Amino acid sequence: MEFGSTEGTPRGLFTCELCELTTPFTYYGQKPPNTRAIVLLEECYVMKDPFCPEKEKFLVLGSTCSLCHKTVCVGADCSLFYTKRFCLRCVREHLDQFPPPIQAELMKKKPTGKTPGLASS
Amino acid sequence: MMESDRRRDSRTWDWDSSQCRAQLDEVFFRPHDYIQTGSLEHKEFWSFFDRFQRFKGKRDMSLSKGSDEVKDGNQESKSRKKASVDLGLPKDYDARYRINVSVCTRDVEERLGVSERRRQTSSGPGKEEVATCRLTLLHFLDFCQRQSFCKLAKLRREQKSLPIFQYRDRIVELVRTHPVVVVAGDTGCGKSTQVPQYLLSSGFSHIACTQPRRIACISLAKRVSFESLNQYGSKVGYQIRFETTRTPATKLLFLTEGLLLRQIQQDAELGQYQVLIVDEVHERHLHCDFLLGVLRSLLRLRQDLRLVLMSATINIKLFSAYFDEAPVLQVPGRLFPIQVIYQPIPPEEQPSRSEKLDPRPYLRVLQGIDQRYPIEERGDLLLFLSGVAEISTIQDACQTYATHTRRWIILPLHSTLSLAQQDKVFDIAPPGVRKCIISTNIAETSVTIDGVRFVVDSGKVKEMSFDPKAKMQRLQEFWISRASSEQRKGRAGRTGPGVCYRLYAESDYEAFAPYPVPEIHRVALDSLVLQMKSMGLGDPRSFVFIDPPPAASIQTALTYLKEQGALDGHAELTSIGRLLSQLPVDVVIGKMLVLGSVFSLVEPVLTVAAALSVQSPYLRSAQHNPDCATARQPLYSNQGDPFTLLNTFNTWVQVKAERGGGSRKWCRRRGIEEQRLYEMVNLRRQFKELLKSHGLLAAEQGATCWRDRQQRRQRLGERKKLHQLKRDHDLQEGNRRKVLRLEEGEEGVGSSGSEGEEEGRERRGKDGAGQSVDIQEVKFKLRHNVTELQEAAGASRDLSSRQQALLKLVLCRGLYPQLALPDEHNATRKDSEQIFHTRNKQGVVIHPTSVFASDPEVLHVPEQEPRETGPEKGESSRHQLLAFVTLLETNKPYVTNCARVPALQALLLVASSVDTNADCTRVVVDGWLELTLSDAEAALRSISSALTLRDDWERLLQAQLRNSATGPAAPAVSHKDLGKLSEGLVRFLLYTEAASTLLNKVSYGLRRLGGLESQNLYVGPQQVPGLPDAPALNPLFPGIKAEPHPVKGGLRVTGFFTYNCLSDSKDMYSECLRTFWSCPHCDLYMPLTPLERMHHEATCRPAGELQPKEEPEDGKAASSSSSSSSLTRVYHCDVCDKDLTLTSTEILKHKRQHL
Ligand SMILES: [Zn+2]
Ligand SMILES: [Zn+2]
Repeated sequence: MEFGSTEGTPRGLFTCELCELTTPFTYYGQKPPNTRAIVLLEECYVMKDPFCPEKEKFLVLGSTCSLCHKTVCVGADCSLFYTKRFCLRCVREHLDQFPPPIQAELMKKKPTGKTPGLASS
Repeated sequence: MMESDRRRDSRTWDWDSSQCRAQLDEVFFRPHDYIQTGSLEHKEFWSFFDRFQRFKGKRDMSLSKGSDEVKDGNQESKSRKKASVDLGLPKDYDARYRINVSVCTRDVEERLGVSERRRQTSSGPGKEEVATCRLTLLHFLDFCQRQSFCKLAKLRREQKSLPIFQYRDRIVELVRTHPVVVVAGDTGCGKSTQVPQYLLSSGFSHIACTQPRRIACISLAKRVSFESLNQYGSKVGYQIRFETTRTPATKLLFLTEGLLLRQIQQDAELGQYQVLIVDEVHERHLHCDFLLGVLRSLLRLRQDLRLVLMSATINIKLFSAYFDEAPVLQVPGRLFPIQVIYQPIPPEEQPSRSEKLDPRPYLRVLQGIDQRYPIEERGDLLLFLSGVAEISTIQDACQTYATHTRRWIILPLHSTLSLAQQDKVFDIAPPGVRKCIISTNIAETSVTIDGVRFVVDSGKVKEMSFDPKAKMQRLQEFWISRASSEQRKGRAGRTGPGVCYRLYAESDYEAFAPYPVPEIHRVALDSLVLQMKSMGLGDPRSFVFIDPPPAASIQTALTYLKEQGALDGHAELTSIGRLLSQLPVDVVIGKMLVLGSVFSLVEPVLTVAAALSVQSPYLRSAQHNPDCATARQPLYSNQGDPFTLLNTFNTWVQVKAERGGGSRKWCRRRGIEEQRLYEMVNLRRQFKELLKSHGLLAAEQGATCWRDRQQRRQRLGERKKLHQLKRDHDLQEGNRRKVLRLEEGEEGVGSSGSEGEEEGRERRGKDGAGQSVDIQEVKFKLRHNVTELQEAAGASRDLSSRQQALLKLVLCRGLYPQLALPDEHNATRKDSEQIFHTRNKQGVVIHPTSVFASDPEVLHVPEQEPRETGPEKGESSRHQLLAFVTLLETNKPYVTNCARVPALQALLLVASSVDTNADCTRVVVDGWLELTLSDAEAALRSISSALTLRDDWERLLQAQLRNSATGPAAPAVSHKDLGKLSEGLVRFLLYTEAASTLLNKVSYGLRRLGGLESQNLYVGPQQVPGLPDAPALNPLFPGIKAEPHPVKGGLRVTGFFTYNCLSDSKDMYSECLRTFWSCPHCDLYMPLTPLERMHHEATCRPAGELQPKEEPEDGKAASSSSSSSSLTRVYHCDVCDKDLTLTSTEILKHKRQHL
């Protein structure tokens, strides 16, 4: 078992501007390597899925908020995708434009508000 | 195809049909797609599909009922007016908008005209089905992404929450700027997993991290590779004795302290590493203390090397000071508050010596917990006792209580339990029941059990110490140290606030030693000193240890190594010593290997040496199980435990060859821990490779097995399959913990190793497909060639009595001076009261696990001796000794792993000191065993043969070792010479028993000398001038300084044999002892003194056999070896008044002319 050569050399460190999750990424873009059939609908920070033995399985770490252009992770406490990527701050700011299921979700989330950045909003 | 077409047309699409799904597979899961048909993800997709459809169905139903959505929709349109920016979001919510992935599959390709296979679609699923499947696939991909990301986020959260996290940058900075850094942190601070990662991610590479325990190497490598997101790569690996995951890509390696030392032995500068992390230095293991000393001097050679010491917050100053006041970074631990309750045992419940432990104080704690803490509040109990016997006593009492209350499951934990039983302590108790784990100090540091809320500390520990005077290991009970006491307490606060009950007074605690005694102060230092010598570290007495061992300990080790022939008179390594220093085993076992390789006994000796180096595979708990005992019976050998182990191993190999994984059941039936046999087979292979690489074993052996190309291909295919199995196993290995049954503990008492328990373990090992993978079997097959092993086992299975005799001799010479003499009154004692004596320790007993414990009669001198020769009282030809591997004192001094050997023969062939009187009828061995032979002719014959045989043996052995030192070349010793020697040795060993041989039985008395007797044993040096013809005798032993012994008196004939030095000698001049003798090999017939005869025999060989004089001899080696003789010499004949160059036989003949 030798993946040493194919793991892909990190292109840099991805850091979420909201939760500070930091991890090396190996690809940025919409077409993760070795995945012919997959196209991402946004430019993403991608790494090889570390929890999966196959080397072509990828994991999207995060992308850029389409409104404030902050780099955010895909974690549910930091951002959501709804045709575009929105950081949760921006989502809250424009909550009225989001459909009810998302509004409901955000309402539920508020009291727990773990993410440090959200405390102020 | 027609069939399915029709079905679809008639709208009979069936999602549950595998054919229908297969059609969709061709659209979505083609070989080049992201997910392929047949893969694990593919299987998961379809089960996701079912769940997703069910979920959608339910949601559709609930949506059609309510009308809330409409209201919300109105609100939405109202508020939108306020918005400053229009995000351009779709009006109607659809979950698919939340997915940021799209997939290009066959249907899309066709639509886009990429694919030409348009015709096939007409026979595939309809548009609607394709759309459903596509949507589900998108959701599945999204689900997978979320799942993996959550794992990643959780991992990072946990890393951040560790106390050490905030010191991350500081640690990296310190390591960058200092050659040595001490990181001190208590349990739970995360140092072992995090520090290596911090260094790795900040650009350090080639990092080695040592651990005192092998198991920690594996688990840390696993954890750290997972945490550093390299679970499926080899950036992080481990290396232990027989296993490694290291590849050229490995940047961080976990390895044992011992292994790192071995690597330094190979490469003194340790150029392969940039950073060394030595973890758990506070545990003060022998290897670790030594390693620190070696690294301390290595740092001077390697300015670029970085050393990180990691320790609990114990005695930190010591480490810092040893490394030139290295900076210390102290990290707080993460422990929950623990309440300490002192509950000293009242005097009436204190166990008196030799009495069983009183369980009442322990039961009170259990009762107290039951009364005070509601059962809904979870939390297990961990109870520390000193030893196995104590555990079993308390376990019995607690089990009775548990059976009655049904609120506890009692589980013992110590290292002699089977691994399956040890594993149980990690299982979960059912609701309303607590685990009570009764453990030795193994749970103090080695084994960490989560969920412990209560700790009971007896304050006692049993520790091994070494008694250099009796050359005996001693397992004694001590009070623990304050450091251990705190460590035990800490086990209660890992997962929540806890309680620690100390069964001693606070004043006792205050009186405890601050730290445990480091191992280097407690154990025999033989192996350590040998290793130091081989690493060229100079005089071990001047080595700067962090905490130097007592000088006497080092001296004892030096003396012992000299006795064993590993060091010469100047305390330098001998060739055998160099070899022994490479073997990761005790000196005695190593000697056995070297000796065995000289004869054609390699296979059985490899097995025996391996077997004696691992824990016994026989589970003690199964000893009282009658079924096990019966099944074991055929494996027992009344020759001794090494032979039983040899039989066991060989039979097991046979079972493995025939039934593969069925060996597990075979072992279970016999109460055998198969893991030990796997260890043996690995160790055996390591030994074999070492012998090969040292030219002690011809390299071509075994290469013959896979000559056939067909066979090799088959083997390759098989290996590929095995590798796949191992990978699958590794993937599935999780922390799937079983829930314990309430009855679990009840079965445990008495009859452990029961079928039920093992079945449970097997169940757990089953993979998804339902077949059970025995990972040990897989690893075994990957590592070993069963056919080859079977051949080897076959070769050593049916040993002839001659081979057996020779094997015993090899064992005995290896184990010497570890010999025990049966007490003369044993025949009249009960089986359980048989006692034995070693040179330094009287009244030792055979360990109950030995075959001789249940069958001591084979050691007794037979009552009915043929009386024709009229032996005196107590004389017999059947005296036997026990050669043993260890002498260990627990409640009694026990010898373990014993083999019986014929006394006279074994002693004459292996003893390092043999002293006789003038006619050799009284022989004293090593100053403590006296052999009396009434038949002077037989006595002389025995000694003379022994001298000749030992001389030949030594010569062949030295030639072999010289050869190994210069590198593997052509065999230095001819098969013919070896054959003759083995023949001679066998004849010598068996002549008392085999009537067919030329030699008659020799009857002799055997006894241990009393203290006073052994003090006044020798005539002493002043007597020597009295010997009239000493100058004439002297030349009889050319090449050997046959000179008066400086202490004993008499004449030292060889390195081990001193003639006529015993003080009760009949004071006869050797001239008077001349008797007529005819040499069986030449025509010599003349009256000779004992010495003259011995000498003639030593140099005269049968016709057709090489005379020793004609062999080309390396002069240097001959003079360095004390017992080998140079062949011709200058003899000055006083009668002729001439200098003659003659062999000693020729000298004898010459002298005869003048008679
Ligand atoms: Zn984030
Ligand atoms: Zn934003």
